[in-house]
Amino acid sequence: MEATGCVGRSAAGASDAVAALIPMVRRIVGARVADVTTAEDLVQETLARVLAASGRVEPGMLEPYAIATARNVVATAWREEDRQRRNRHRVVDLTAPDLPEGGLLAEEERSAVAAALARLSERDREALVAHEVSGRDTRSLATDLGSTAGAVAAQLHRARARLRVEYLLARDRTEPPTDRCRPVLFALSSGDRRRQREVDAGRHLLECDVCAALSQPLLERAPQRDDEVRIPIDGDADVVAARQAARELAGRLGCFSPTDLTLIATAVSEVTRNIVKFAGSGEVVVEVLEQPRRGVQVTARDAGPGIPDVERALQDGYSTYAGLGLGLPGARRLMDEFAIASEVGRGTTVTMTRWCADR
Amino acid sequence: MTGPRLVSILRQGPYLIASIHTALDDSQMTAFQHDLVDRIGRDRARGVVIDVAALDVLDSFATRTLRTIGEVARLRGAVTVVVGIQPEVAFTMVALGMDTGSLHTALDLEEGLALLDRAVGPRRPVTALRGGAA
Ligand SMILES: [Zn+2]
Repeated sequence: MEATGCVGRSAAGASDAVAALIPMVRRIVGARVADVTTAEDLVQETLARVLAASGRVEPGMLEPYAIATARNVVATAWREEDRQRRNRHRVVDLTAPDLPEGGLLAEEERSAVAAALARLSERDREALVAHEVSGRDTRSLATDLGSTAGAVAAQLHRARARLRVEYLLARDRTEPPTDRCRPVLFALSSGDRRRQREVDAGRHLLECDVCAALSQPLLERAPQRDDEVRIPIDGDADVVAARQAARELAGRLGCFSPTDLTLIATAVSEVTRNIVKFAGSGEVVVEVLEQPRRGVQVTARDAGPGIPDVERALQDGYSTYAGLGLGLPGARRLMDEFAIASEVGRGTTVTMTRWCADR
Repeated sequence: MTGPRLVSILRQGPYLIASIHTALDDSQMTAFQHDLVDRIGRDRARGVVIDVAALDVLDSFATRTLRTIGEVARLRGAVTVVVGIQPEVAFTMVALGMDTGSLHTALDLEEGLALLDRAVGPRRPVTALRGGAA
């Protein structure tokens, strides 16, 4: 563990923090489940979920979240056991839903989405529909709204987080019992740790069963959300946020060495700094690729002045302001694939990829 | 700025020991540069150790800032040693095509101080000599 040096620290820190929760989780599960083997399975499942969510909750919330998760996992196991007991005499497997039921579920799903959309502000709803349904990119939306691509990306992020909360409430036909619930759920959904602290989300999860139950789907989002991070770029601090998010996501793949992770983080730092210096704002998207190989792809885009001579910008020593001579060529050297699309007056998009080492 | 300290600059004899405690953004890095250069003059330091072990990356801007500190310190009569560059960070700097220029580097704080002792020579009572000449 020590040999991994500073790079391993955040991941190791998270698993250490989760490991410290084991006795408490055992106590909670043990008090509810008599069978030792079943209990241990449920403990492991709880810990796996807490570890998976640890990046999205502020450190102080890990313990309350583990308590809520342990209770949920046990309750789900009970329901499952109960269902199996009731169905044991049947020959037909009821776990595969037949078609009419499937259609009904789809209908319920649709009305839940509609109800959730109706609860968003008109501004958020329009932006979300234009982006998700009509496929408009943040840059063209920004032009329409008289805003920046980075600000639009941030707005979309907030709108999505709010939509997830409203969707779950509509789907479960739940009205939150207190007026603290929505702010807490929203802070969880957006993964905004500072906000989680401000609304004391950890304490609320312990006090409110409704939010405790909803915290699970909110923190363990659909897989396609788990392998993508969007970071709105608006200033110096976002350069650090972007490179740390890239390191965290790439680290989760488990195929990159500490050096690989530092190479990726450094490349992201260079291209994100370009956004701040030349365009002022933009966004960085980090995503996991499965095809043609496993890897991590970083897209850094802005609606800034653009680069007149891309070839020249990629040469060592070229810089239009002090300190950036190594920015783009450096980032290109650190990644396996590197491409720039730039149009003067419209903006720049850098796409770069690093593939997992074949083992 | 509130919250935990990002950097600390401590005096130890004729030397300053500057430790960076966390990842810094460019503005914080620049503020650190100004603070440190200030302190070199104010404390009449003859050597500076900068501990970068807690930095997540040493990208082009961070490296350039460290080099600037080294150059300015040299012009003001102090030797600068950067310590604590993690192996993966060092590897990245090489891959990036960056070097630390005229900056001295050492493995850790202890080595850094030893290097200063050699570079600066025996610790003469600097202020007393100056006082005698005036
Ligand atoms: Zn609640």
